[in-house]
Amino acid sequence: MDPMTFSIIRHRLFRIIDEAVITLKHVSGSAITNEGHDLMVSLYRADGSLLMGGVGFLHHLTSAAEACKSIIRRFEGRIREGDVFLLNDPYTAALHTSDIYLVAPIHFEGKLIAWSACFVHVYDIGAMNPGGFSPQSVDIYTEGFSSPGIKIVDQGEMVQDVVDTILNMVRSPEMVMLDLRSMIACNNVARERMQALAAKYGSDTVDAAGSELISQSETLLRARLQELPNGSWQSRQYLDVNGETATVRLTMTKTGDRLVFDFTGSSEQSRHAINCTKWASLGGLFAPLFPLLCYDITWNEGVIRPVEMIAPEGSIVNCTRPAPVSVATVAAIQSVNNAACATIGKMLAASDRYRGQATTVWHANHFAIFKFGRNQKGGQSIGIFTETFAGAGGARSFADGVDIGGEIPNPISRMANVETVEANFPIRYLFRRRMKDSGGPGLWRGGSGGELAVVPHKAPDGGIHYVISGKGARHPMSDGLAGGFPGAPNKYAWVKSEDGADVVPEDAAAGGDPVSWGVFPLMGKDALYVRWNGGGGFGDPLERTPDHVVADIGNDLVSVEAARDVYGVAVDGKGALDAQATQDLRSRRRAARIGREAAR
Amino acid sequence: MSETTYIVATDVGGTCTDTIIIASTGEIHIGKALSTPPDFATGVLNSIESAAEIMGVPRRDVLARTTLFVHGSTVVDNTVLTRDGAPTGLIATQGFEDTLLVTRGAYGRWSGLTEDGIKNPVRTDRAAPLVATGAIRGVGERIDCDGDIVEPLDLAAAESAVRYLVEDKKVEAIAVSFLWSFFNPAHERAVRDLIERIAPQVYVTLSSDIAPVPGEYERTSTAVINAYAGRVTRDYLRSLEALLAEHGYRGQTMVMQGYGGLLPASESGERAVGMIECGPAAGVIGAKFLGDLMGDTEIIAADMGGTTFKVGVIQDGELDYAREPMVDRFHYVAPKIDVVSIGAGGGSIVQLDPKTRLPTVGPRSAGSRPGPICYGLGGTEPTLTDVMLLIGYMEPSHFLRGSMTLDADNTRRIFKEKIADPLGVSVEEAAIGIYRIAAAQITDLIRTITVERGLDPRDFVLHAFGGTCGMLASAFGEELAVRRIVIPYTASVNCAFGLVTADVRHEYSTTTTLASDVDPQEVNAIFEPLIDQARKQLEAEGFSGEATRFDWSVDLRYRRQVHEVTTPVRAETPLDTAGLAGLIDDFESLYERKFGKGSAYREAGIEMTMFRLTASGLMQRPQLPVEPEGEAACDGARIGRRPIFVEARGKLVEADIYDFARLSPGNRFKGPAVIHTPITTIAVQDGQTARMDGYRNIVLEMEV
Amino acid sequence: MTDIRSVSPTLVQKAGQIACRACGHELAAAGEGWKEHAVLDEKPLGDAGGAMFRSEGNVLLRRFYCPSCGTTLDAETALPGEPFLIDRVDWS
Repeated sequence: MDPMTFSIIRHRLFRIIDEAVITLKHVSGSAITNEGHDLMVSLYRADGSLLMGGVGFLHHLTSAAEACKSIIRRFEGRIREGDVFLLNDPYTAALHTSDIYLVAPIHFEGKLIAWSACFVHVYDIGAMNPGGFSPQSVDIYTEGFSSPGIKIVDQGEMVQDVVDTILNMVRSPEMVMLDLRSMIACNNVARERMQALAAKYGSDTVDAAGSELISQSETLLRARLQELPNGSWQSRQYLDVNGETATVRLTMTKTGDRLVFDFTGSSEQSRHAINCTKWASLGGLFAPLFPLLCYDITWNEGVIRPVEMIAPEGSIVNCTRPAPVSVATVAAIQSVNNAACATIGKMLAASDRYRGQATTVWHANHFAIFKFGRNQKGGQSIGIFTETFAGAGGARSFADGVDIGGEIPNPISRMANVETVEANFPIRYLFRRRMKDSGGPGLWRGGSGGELAVVPHKAPDGGIHYVISGKGARHPMSDGLAGGFPGAPNKYAWVKSEDGADVVPEDAAAGGDPVSWGVFPLMGKDALYVRWNGGGGFGDPLERTPDHVVADIGNDLVSVEAARDVYGVAVDGKGALDAQATQDLRSRRRAARIGREAAR
Repeated sequence: MSETTYIVATDVGGTCTDTIIIASTGEIHIGKALSTPPDFATGVLNSIESAAEIMGVPRRDVLARTTLFVHGSTVVDNTVLTRDGAPTGLIATQGFEDTLLVTRGAYGRWSGLTEDGIKNPVRTDRAAPLVATGAIRGVGERIDCDGDIVEPLDLAAAESAVRYLVEDKKVEAIAVSFLWSFFNPAHERAVRDLIERIAPQVYVTLSSDIAPVPGEYERTSTAVINAYAGRVTRDYLRSLEALLAEHGYRGQTMVMQGYGGLLPASESGERAVGMIECGPAAGVIGAKFLGDLMGDTEIIAADMGGTTFKVGVIQDGELDYAREPMVDRFHYVAPKIDVVSIGAGGGSIVQLDPKTRLPTVGPRSAGSRPGPICYGLGGTEPTLTDVMLLIGYMEPSHFLRGSMTLDADNTRRIFKEKIADPLGVSVEEAAIGIYRIAAAQITDLIRTITVERGLDPRDFVLHAFGGTCGMLASAFGEELAVRRIVIPYTASVNCAFGLVTADVRHEYSTTTTLASDVDPQEVNAIFEPLIDQARKQLEAEGFSGEATRFDWSVDLRYRRQVHEVTTPVRAETPLDTAGLAGLIDDFESLYERKFGKGSAYREAGIEMTMFRLTASGLMQRPQLPVEPEGEAACDGARIGRRPIFVEARGKLVEADIYDFARLSPGNRFKGPAVIHTPITTIAVQDGQTARMDGYRNIVLEMEV
Repeated sequence: MTDIRSVSPTLVQKAGQIACRACGHELAAAGEGWKEHAVLDEKPLGDAGGAMFRSEGNVLLRRFYCPSCGTTLDAETALPGEPFLIDRVDWS
């Protein structure tokens, strides 16, 4: 194929996804889709393999491919132009029940030429707890409606009885309907644009371009792997839930142009909803792999071919029915994200050539907190604290992490303004700011996490409730690299008012009783305090340029104590660098490490 | 002759400063000079001089007989891009000091990046903030979502914050941004009074003044940008006015705003953010004016110069506003005409991706120095302009009124070596492919800006401006299947032309939430004080009665959905029950048009969230001369034949070459052909008919 | 072979030995675990990182120092009794 046509088709495929995403956001109009960018749209070839992945929650790209393939198997001979299928069973392909896939075949001149698939986190799915994350669930049967594949649009006609049945099982059926409508509209746009592309260039040419694009990606990734050193790298993620700790263990081995992710040794599946299925684990390791290794390569099936995963059955990363999984996207899947990010970071850092792409772990620890209750206008409100989409960036081999800079698996998220939250929920923030000393210390510091505290405000019922699937309060999860520290762990606290007095910001930040798992009240004058993790640090903190530490002190990102104790940097009373004291401190610290004067 | 008076408009762009002078006799004169940053005023005088020269009238005489000077300038954009503003501090609500720096999380890290940038998060960062390091201070105070004071302002803390910023941090400008200040600005105003008392030399911007809307991050960012660029902008406009006065101009200077309206220079100087991207806005306004003349209400206004391709859309005769405007990589909130751009212009560099070996166009540009290879000024990287030469769209000896000869041999040699040979194809094939890639990128961009709003490009007329657009418009216009393509007579100075077609406009708004079923008197009560304020303002500027206009609009949304739609009030004002019902109906149909069928969640109810008043002072309009259209035949304008690229044939084909200067209104001919104008070239594709209309615009009609 | 090969940002391999990148100190033969030959500093993370790192958990921060120059060669978090994370690069 001539390179110009190829180039145009490639660009068009990406634009098709872009347009479909816009449609999805427009029709949905929900905060989680529009602010959190908790969505994904991708195109698949006629056999269900990934043709072009969009920029959304990236752990869905491969899972939705499996969703397409499983629809193809299940509905063989009954797939017609204008059909739309719904799939949300985690044991078939989905990540958890509330991330619904809508998968639609694309026909041109009567022939199946491709598939489009998308997901949003729907408003509710009828699980025990509202909002989709259901910490109190004990098995998949308590996690709401789930389907391994069902037709909801038949040749362009909505299958109303099926849709009504689904809506009959969820809270706020109107909002869920809106989510479904947005995904149908999104698939329609993708289909129309693909058909236009086929009409202009011919469906054979488009398919040939897709096939070439896939082999190009495969060739490029294999070439990149060849350039990286052979070896194996390990990482380990502790996942604490309700007082118990589960472990995800990963050994990543690179040989020639192949990459194997082996999760042997990970914990057995949990009774809590933190598990994930094997499709979810596969998606979980690809989420960082796409941007970290394929930042200049098209994200498609070609990237998947050189990669293999080993995940022991019955483990937390390949659980068996009926283990509960509703919290998976912020639990085991995220731990897989983190573990893969850590080992890929180590591999890149090992290479003189690719060190400039190496990063520590970003925002390793989502905190899914859904607040719900009657708001100041008398209506019901339900919604996630979108701060969870605003994690801390990990330190890079060449720069600090971005403070509250987001995450790798969902590159274009954002959080809502405080004023937007206060307008829609009967709560008031006491503060929302970067968290001092939370970024993992290192030669390059991990990005700072944040902290917030909220109290009820003008609430008709005296307050609200929240569902929390909090983890990472016991163990830090954003690993450092090359001697850098991890980012500081999360904290969730119920700060109780004393004798009816207002909780003041200082008290909210300092004290409180830990809360982590289940449904809790936020009533009266009590406060909810949340601190979220910093990014991992890179390199030895004693090697950090003292001026950078001083600047961090000036910016309230590092305390004078941490500067002294962790970085070995001394400042005078005005916060200026004390160069001599710093030099002395650092050589003393170095000597203390090895019990004698250091060799340099 | 001594009776003749002039309207003069000068637009300062990044590269060129354009002037258009419209005489009371109807004659139009064009001037062009290079921009002269940071002292832009010199370029303004040079540009006026260049037009005056062609007129044969001394500049002083022109300015002395000028009744109106209208101005657009990139001064604010430039101040931000070059980080040349004042050392700036910020005072915020205690506990929320980091709002600006945190940019709503990743938002500020990825905003403004291309697809390639977003896919590589490891290499992304925020832009360094405009506030000086450590120059953000929190002060105890708190207002809630109803505007009620929860915690009074700690004046003592405010005073020490101001002293710290001024004395320790040496700031010269301070932005003040408190939570919910747009509902209750009392605390912000108290801090301003304090600053005026203890540090009167400091330039102050209150978020509740500059951006009285919800959303503390965007409001704070706006206040900071304004504080940062405020003094530079004010000083610039003052010195420009003084300079013009010195050179003979005795009238008022009107300044273009990003929303497409004018403000007197004295007011504009206090609202620096208003001037961001006012040039491109003027371009869209100019397109609207021409569209009104020609009876077109649906227009895609495309401008392609040396480095960027910019496009705006006029729908139903109305302009659309950007939802999340940015300058550099900073968000701000101010009404701004939505103009989107990609880094594709004549100077865009063509290269092969080092990994995939696929050709790419832009976003890197060779600029005007060294420029394209064919300019012979030392450029060695192939650009889009070089491609145009290779496919026959430019005549080496005919460039810029023949003032410059293009080096075709060298262009061909380098292009062959760097692009064609590595691709294994001929020079023509490679050049055609790259032309098509550029056209496809533009097509996609236009599709985004139209489809994003539920618009179908096939309903639109394409207006093509700028030095490079005429060569590509026939190709991407064809693919988008627009109704018609217009290359205006003033295409090369379109933004300056837009300046003289604008009115003075003030935007006022009040944020409060009302259910859609309220008594219309409640809505009227919100608008009354705004109208009073606007009337006084316009009177002070010399507008009253017939010369004023008041347009109401309301932002509405479905409850529980996030998209707000600004809906113009079409009924008589003040509103009665029927008028309010009409507004709700209009909102519903606008919503479906923008966001697609089935997107409305009616069951949740509808609410009004913002009430906007646009107050206009109507300016005198230029009278463009119309000539009668004569005969179609134009053999006299045909100056030769040469091979040019014809899209439908996929190759270079021998075709007619026309001289714009020899065409007269009514002339028409079929493509394929090329028209040389003094500034640019217009390509006409196979199956298109070119016609010169009564305004000397070139109109391309497609074969149906 | 006297080529110096990269193993990590802090380690190199030369002449069949894993060595400290900063000072050249040789830790172990390539293919052998080098961490056993570094100085191990293992303490509760809360003590190593300051107040922000204190939690109810009992997680440890392990730091591996070069015995010669005292540079941190690597760090990892672990619960008590966990084996070391093993990273190796094959330059065979």
